[in-house]
Amino acid sequence: MKFQIEEVTVYFPYDNIYPEQYTYMVELKRALDAKGHCLLEMPTGTGKTIALLSLITSYALAKTESPIKLIYCTRTVHEMEKTLAELKFLHNYQVKHLGAAAKMLAIGLSSRKNLCVNPKVSSAENRDSVDAACRKLTASWVRSMAAENPNQPTCEFYENYDRAAGGAVLPAGVYTLEDLRAFGKEKGWCPYFLARHMVQFANVVVYSYQYLLDPKVAGIISKEMQKESVVVFDEAHNIDNVCIEALSVSVRRQTLEGAIRNISRIENEIDRFKDIDAGRLRAEYNRLVEGLALRGDLSASDAWLANPALPDDILRQAVPGNIRRAEHFLHVLRRLVQYLKVKLDTDKVEKESPVSFVASINSDAGIDQKALKFCYDRLHSLLMTLEITDTDEFLHIQTICDFATLVGTYARGFSIIIEPFDERMPLIPDPVLQLCCHDASLAIKPVFDRFQSVVITSGTLSPIDLYPRLLNFHPVVSRSFKMSLTRDCICPMVLTRGSDQLPVSTKFDMRSDPGVVRNYGKLLVEMVSIVPDGIVCFFVSYSYMDGIINSWNESGILKDIMQHKLVFIETQDVVETTLALDNYRRACDCGRGAVFFSVARGKVAEGIDFDRHYGRLVIMFGVPFQYTESKILRARLEYLRDTFQIKEGDFLTFDALIDVMNIELTDRNLNQRQAAQCVGRVIRSKADYGMMIFADKRYSRHDKRSKLPGWILSHLRDANLNLSTDMALHIAREFLRKMAQPYEKTGSTTGRKTLLSQEDVEKLGNNGAQEMLY
Amino acid sequence: MSSGQVTKRVKYKTSVKDAGTPGRLSLVKERLLFRPNNPNSASKLDMQFKYITNHRYTKEGSNKAPMLNLTSNQACRALAPPVEAPNLGASSQVPSEQPSRDDLLFRARLLQDSSELQKLHQQFVGGGVLTEAEFWATRKKLLEKDSNTKSKQRGGLKSSVLGESKPLIDGRTNRVTFNLTPEIVREIFSEKPAVHRAYLNFVPSKVTEKDFWTKYFRAEYLQRSKNIAAAIAEAAEDEELAIFLKPDDILANETRRKIRRVDPTLDMEADQGDDYSHLPDHGILRDGSKEVPEPGNELYRRTLLQDLNRHAAVVLQGTPIDEEQLKDTQTVAEALERSKQERSTASKDDDSMADQERLKGISQAMTIDDLRGSNDHHLAPLWIKDPRDYFDSQQASSFRTSMEATKGSMSSQEAYGLLRESISQIKSMGLNHPIVAPEVAQKVLSVLTHNISSTKYNLGKKPGESLLDSLPTSVRDELLHHHISIEELMKHFWSSYPITTKYLNTKVIKLKDEMSKMDSQLQKLKETVQPDIRHQITLLIRPMQQALEAAMQHYDAEQQKRASKAREKPNGYS
Repeated sequence: MKFQIEEVTVYFPYDNIYPEQYTYMVELKRALDAKGHCLLEMPTGTGKTIALLSLITSYALAKTESPIKLIYCTRTVHEMEKTLAELKFLHNYQVKHLGAAAKMLAIGLSSRKNLCVNPKVSSAENRDSVDAACRKLTASWVRSMAAENPNQPTCEFYENYDRAAGGAVLPAGVYTLEDLRAFGKEKGWCPYFLARHMVQFANVVVYSYQYLLDPKVAGIISKEMQKESVVVFDEAHNIDNVCIEALSVSVRRQTLEGAIRNISRIENEIDRFKDIDAGRLRAEYNRLVEGLALRGDLSASDAWLANPALPDDILRQAVPGNIRRAEHFLHVLRRLVQYLKVKLDTDKVEKESPVSFVASINSDAGIDQKALKFCYDRLHSLLMTLEITDTDEFLHIQTICDFATLVGTYARGFSIIIEPFDERMPLIPDPVLQLCCHDASLAIKPVFDRFQSVVITSGTLSPIDLYPRLLNFHPVVSRSFKMSLTRDCICPMVLTRGSDQLPVSTKFDMRSDPGVVRNYGKLLVEMVSIVPDGIVCFFVSYSYMDGIINSWNESGILKDIMQHKLVFIETQDVVETTLALDNYRRACDCGRGAVFFSVARGKVAEGIDFDRHYGRLVIMFGVPFQYTESKILRARLEYLRDTFQIKEGDFLTFDALIDVMNIELTDRNLNQRQAAQCVGRVIRSKADYGMMIFADKRYSRHDKRSKLPGWILSHLRDANLNLSTDMALHIAREFLRKMAQPYEKTGSTTGRKTLLSQEDVEKLGNNGAQEMLY
Repeated sequence: MSSGQVTKRVKYKTSVKDAGTPGRLSLVKERLLFRPNNPNSASKLDMQFKYITNHRYTKEGSNKAPMLNLTSNQACRALAPPVEAPNLGASSQVPSEQPSRDDLLFRARLLQDSSELQKLHQQFVGGGVLTEAEFWATRKKLLEKDSNTKSKQRGGLKSSVLGESKPLIDGRTNRVTFNLTPEIVREIFSEKPAVHRAYLNFVPSKVTEKDFWTKYFRAEYLQRSKNIAAAIAEAAEDEELAIFLKPDDILANETRRKIRRVDPTLDMEADQGDDYSHLPDHGILRDGSKEVPEPGNELYRRTLLQDLNRHAAVVLQGTPIDEEQLKDTQTVAEALERSKQERSTASKDDDSMADQERLKGISQAMTIDDLRGSNDHHLAPLWIKDPRDYFDSQQASSFRTSMEATKGSMSSQEAYGLLRESISQIKSMGLNHPIVAPEVAQKVLSVLTHNISSTKYNLGKKPGESLLDSLPTSVRDELLHHHISIEELMKHFWSSYPITTKYLNTKVIKLKDEMSKMDSQLQKLKETVQPDIRHQITLLIRPMQQALEAAMQHYDAEQQKRASKAREKPNGYS
């Protein structure tokens, strides 16, 4: 359909639109008009992504005089693929109705691991070895060597791309990663470098958060994005965590040992170079004296990960004299590693601020702050000079240098915590020195400063006023939308008792009780026999899931389950889990039906949708608990308290405040991770339906339950708060029967429309949206 | 005939003495077509009626081979003698279409596929009640060629893990026994290609079959007991045992191949490949949200979870081996190997096609259904080969549990025992007051009448329970067979009315005889069954008998009408 929002003609690829989508677009358009940032919350299942994409692309089409670029950030690659699939659909529609004028270039960008088409390189096992294998074939010195020596292997795809030079462009269209690979294979051009090159010219770029937020990656990929861009962070409820993780480094014993090996290797390389090409090291020294850490004209294929510190904080100065010479720098590194080793060798938890840490390094190891700050640049320069291509071998020393640079650069917003062991496993010594960032606004600040509009959106952003404070920005629009449903298509239930009427819970004292295990099993056995297609089960942890599946296997419950549905399980191996998920979907598609066992805090819960027939029922076995005693979490809470300028009163109020903060934060975590992420992804549209069972007696308590997101709570009827297995079974049967009936899609029978046609939207446009909808 | 054409199997002769070309003659609206069975044969005929100037045919009832002689104005004389047409002149009511060889073969296959159909066929066609053509005329749907192609539906693998069946452990002799059937072997081989390869390589050239499986289960046992240290120690000594304990390299390759073709919208491996924030030692290690993996010996670690995933994947993929091939280990191993090779050569071309399909499916899945104006879903037709089998298996498990629940009450034997006990008590002690303890009397009475009352009250109350399932299988099968036979008879009987031709009249008479036979059979069945289920049987048989009765009554009434008509007619006209 085609409609007007003020002066912009919006091309929307469907015949109907939800009222939520319409108002979402109206708000978004206001933010774009104001060239400001905005914060929009709208529940899943309302077609957020397509609303966003169609408004922004239509906006760009309407304002041809100042073209805007869309930078769409997703959390993961698979979300990127989903977004691109929707964009493709939209693009086809726009081209059909507007012709060539609507043509645009949209690309997804990922790492070499996901884009490389050179079979020799892409067969490498992990990301870092693919990166290294690529550099081995494409680094500038390798290529100049190949010019003299024909036996030196190079990458034909890169060579072809390089030869085509300016001619290597992507024609207009929407390119998923697979499309990029196919195009690269067809033309013989390297898709990775082609995509990186095309990022500057594309109308829409879709990539993951880190490409904008993590300075190590952003420094290479996103340096030259125009200011007239709209940046969208989708599913952004965890954005603060991404921000702080981007600036955090942890050092373990293995890191230090690896770093020592790296240093020796570098030393050998230096000796070798001294013999054959002493001039090169001297040239590097001279360059450093002149104040250039790196040669200015780095070719794209040479670029490694960039400086871990944010661009504004990097000093544009000459590298200090005491680390200019390669040998001296190595000595400094050795002393640093030695110092960290001593620090790590502790038997109690220590917490320090970066300032005192730097001071003690200075006094104990004789390394001043400025030298620390330049560690990254100096190492990078040295590795380039030594023409080292197997970068994956040098990750350890790189970690140390990243650590040093961050410690040297930031005096506040960080702390250093040394833990001799994981507090949940006090018997296994595994010391970690953690440099953790507490201030999420640090990493995202350059993004807010650089780009015209930043849109932060998600299904759950409540409390919505917390985000501007956490990320330190001022949104021009901050709205939270409710979802209007045509029928009661979600059915949450709280199951407190099993079929034998005994309570079920994963509380510590009950979780290994065979009765509880059996009751949980019986619940699932009953459910698989009545629920069609897919069922997803979430457990509180891997170890609990492992244990319960083993005991179900022994007692024959698993066999009963398998009589009705195939069983797939998330494991700690990502590859296996991916295949299991893929098979799970196939089994749901072909009608065989399947159960997927997953972990509430696992990777699957975080990002995979179980919409439509992929998840007719979600069972949450137990209450997943957040380990609130974590030192790092505590430190972060303290920091937040300081920056929120809450006055410290007497100890009691202070403690209470910590608790309030604690609850606020963990609440958010519970909200998002446990409910919005596990059970909240079952609805794809208003026509979809699904059930959720919270199987733990603790959910019947108000304080636990109130942590569920509001849209679930609003459908949780009082009668469903305290069920046993047989009652839940009855309700499920009734619900499924009800959902199978035909219904009026537009919701006109209930008074308020839940689906708008072209006509309705035009009426809205004339009368003003707000009056009619609210 | 519905398609407006009549086809006959004929021989085509250009002159009377010609040996003739076998083929099919079809009669359509305005022309006569002859297609020889041998497509290379030159003798084809395509003649429009308007060109036919004269035709002669052999008289009905003559001994000569029936023959149709056509003369056309193109001075070409064509002779088309029907090969076998006993009742050429019969009315169009007779399904006289002659089946071709293909049709016959196809029918034979249908009969083979379904034992039920075969039984019916034998009973009625073999018994002379129905003709072959009549029998198939009511099953046009089955004969449609569309269903022909689809009918290659094979039973899949069972969802439950067979190989996981628990070993029998004899504590006294400290012996562990594993059971192995060809079905289990098939499962092991398809889930663990390395074991399959080892079997093909070693058995019987290097080790005997028995040793092979002993070693395999020894390894399995070590795995399951989670005694990794012992497993490592044994594997170090025995290299064949080590094969079973090592991670499967064929599987690993397959995994690598599959992960490249996985649905990109859930590819978490790609996520990992893009995540630069979690370089080793970057990010936050212990914020309490991530779990710490347990350390372990990676080489010999295979968990139940992995096995379950693998099993489900294999079940989903389906098996290329038919049930017939499940004879012994060697055949299973070889058949699997063959099919694997076939699949690998065939699948290479399909792969890219399938990928395209999948990608299309993904973009389809991304759209929001209810926002689209019209939904043009392509629904696959539900095709259940044997509906009864399908629905019964669904009920079986729920029924079992309900049976267990009812077992709580006493059996009639027990009740009888109670009664006898009290009788003997009376004998020894004389009559007391009261004569029988009221509790005992209550119990006996309730149990003995339980059967009657229970069927009355429970019948049809529980959706999961069916009366049929409570009957002994032999009786049940007989009942079902009777039911189907009667259904078939009824179908033919009622479709014969109104009787317009002599042919139908004879058919109805034959059917009626068969019906009365069936009626007496039902009566006999009712009398011979165990008394305790007679009530249920009666209930089940009643509708069948009613159907038969209705048919008989109709027949009698018609017969009377006809008789009176026959009598009236001469009167009326005279």
